Amino acid sequence: MTLNDIFKESWLSIGGNKVRSFLTVLGIIIGVMAVVIMVAVGETVEKEITDQFSSLGTNTVVIRAGAAQTGGVRSGSRQTLTIDDAEVIAKLPDVAAVSPIQTSGAQVVYGNKNWSTSMMGVYPDYTTVQNIEIEYGSFFDTTAVRNASTYAVIGPKTATELGMDKNPVGEVVRVQNVPFVIVGVAKERGDSAMGSQDDMILIPITTLKKRVQGSRFPNAVSMIALKLFQDADNSVVIDQISAMLRDRHRLRAGDDDDFQIMDMKQIMETMTTVTGYLKLLLIAIAAVSLLVGAIGIMNMMLVSVAERTREIGIRKAIGAREQNIIIQFLSESIMISFIGSMIGLVMGVGLSQGVGRFILGYNVPFSAWPVVLSISVAVIVGLASGVMPAIKAAKLNPIDSLRYE
Amino acid sequence: MKKNETIISMNKICKSFPLEIGGVQQVLFDITFNIQAGEFVAIMGPSGSGKSTCMNIVGALDTPTSGTYELYGQNISNMTSDDLARARNEHIGFVFQNFNLLPKRNVLDNVMLPLMYRGMSPEERIRRSREMLHRVGLENFETYLPTQLSGGMKQRVAIARALAGEPKLILADEPTGALDSKMGNEILKFFKELNKDLGITIVMITHEFDIARYANRLIHIYDGRINYDGPIPASEAVLVKKTNKGQK
Repeated sequence: MTLNDIFKESWLSIGGNKVRSFLTVLGIIIGVMAVVIMVAVGETVEKEITDQFSSLGTNTVVIRAGAAQTGGVRSGSRQTLTIDDAEVIAKLPDVAAVSPIQTSGAQVVYGNKNWSTSMMGVYPDYTTVQNIEIEYGSFFDTTAVRNASTYAVIGPKTATELGMDKNPVGEVVRVQNVPFVIVGVAKERGDSAMGSQDDMILIPITTLKKRVQGSRFPNAVSMIALKLFQDADNSVVIDQISAMLRDRHRLRAGDDDDFQIMDMKQIMETMTTVTGYLKLLLIAIAAVSLLVGAIGIMNMMLVSVAERTREIGIRKAIGAREQNIIIQFLSESIMISFIGSMIGLVMGVGLSQGVGRFILGYNVPFSAWPVVLSISVAVIVGLASGVMPAIKAAKLNPIDSLRYE
Repeated sequence: MKKNETIISMNKICKSFPLEIGGVQQVLFDITFNIQAGEFVAIMGPSGSGKSTCMNIVGALDTPTSGTYELYGQNISNMTSDDLARARNEHIGFVFQNFNLLPKRNVLDNVMLPLMYRGMSPEERIRRSREMLHRVGLENFETYLPTQLSGGMKQRVAIARALAGEPKLILADEPTGALDSKMGNEILKFFKELNKDLGITIVMITHEFDIARYANRLIHIYDGRINYDGPIPASEAVLVKKTNKGQK
């Protein structure tokens, strides 16, 4: 028997019972399609999360004032971090940029418009830490921080909401009656894991503490954000910072930290693990329908063997060996699962790309995964569901089979 | 093909089947006969006589419980099922009572089937199958499905299929059983021609004396034993007398 013979025999047999073959193929189509779509969903979620974190930079570390929440009691009202802490951290060799951060809600007034947004007091290095790019003008410098100047950099969305020109550098806005000169506008970059980066007003931290808040503790800050050099070992640096801060805050051994260190890399790794499990779960659920499809093929092949007992008898009588019969039935089941897998692949990719990309607007990644998957399914499911019926067919006794009605 | 070459050599063949209630039922007792190349033999017997079992063994579809059976010099008594399949494919062309064509394959595909299992190239298969269809007068029906043909035509397709492998032996199991007498006679005449003109050995199983008369030799089986083996007798009465004698 040539390959061509095998192919032709299988095709004629499958075509001989179109409705049944179609329904069996449908089982595989649905199974493969479900798996392909679930893989796409998992990968999209994973990619969205990775994208958001990478816009932030995975070598970012954020230190928050106050102890980690334990037993429902949070002792974080006290502002334990100071600008001096930030200055000391900046001296560590692995730290590329540091910025203390103080946030505050702000009602920004421009002409007759006003807009509520979040105001952040930062250092110029904040641009490096958060990957902020400037579209118009420039960011304020360290002199502005030292002098507590009333300069501000605003997000593009804030500018739009306030009805400003395309380039509002030089315009004056008021926050709690303090006039600020706009020196720069940040480049738009969409939402990220840390909330919108496009709607904000950034001012020197000293200005925020002294002029806007009039704080009694001008040195205290709620957060310190820092960026490490690419080759730094996050956990080593975090240990160093932790030890240093404990020392500076005069904590004794056994005392809880009065700050929390969040490592973005670690958070992202945790998120990736979680989405990995999510993906596995989705695939596992979809795989059940694939399993049902495979059982469908096996069922159909068993019925087919019973129905074609006489045909098998004829073939054996005129010289078909056991392997000929096995190959014939196996190739039928493989052909069915192959057709199903290919249609399922095309439909799965089409649906996930069509719905995900064009209707929901997600950037659904293309990957080789579904192709590898459907080809393996075609072979494995075809073989697994065909072996038992094929052997059953091959072992039929030609005499009894010929007499079978 | 050499004359007087032994095609079939059955020596003390016994066959018994296990019964579900236990024990065995013996169907054939010490069947011994030889068939030479070029013979046209009818194996005759009433239903239940064991002639079908005998045919299954002759056709290498089954192996005997004891005794030796040589098909064209090969002892097939202890062959595996795959070896038996190969022996059938090479040496025997089957013609069945109910034709046993594949209903969803066209006439040409049906005729080519044994050649496919022989591993012949597709071109050679087609060439030879067309030749056989021509010989049975169905060269214009290649693409027909068996269901579109009359009984006689179906049986001629089956004969073409049996001839395609150029076997030493054609084994026909009640070849006219599903045909009316006119078509049946045609088929029998065709067998006679094949035997006479091409020297093909034919073994035909039947329960009717009138059909057996087309052969040159008659082996009559009764109750699992050979009751008569010789030239076609003038009348069936000879056989009846012998069976009655045998029963006493």
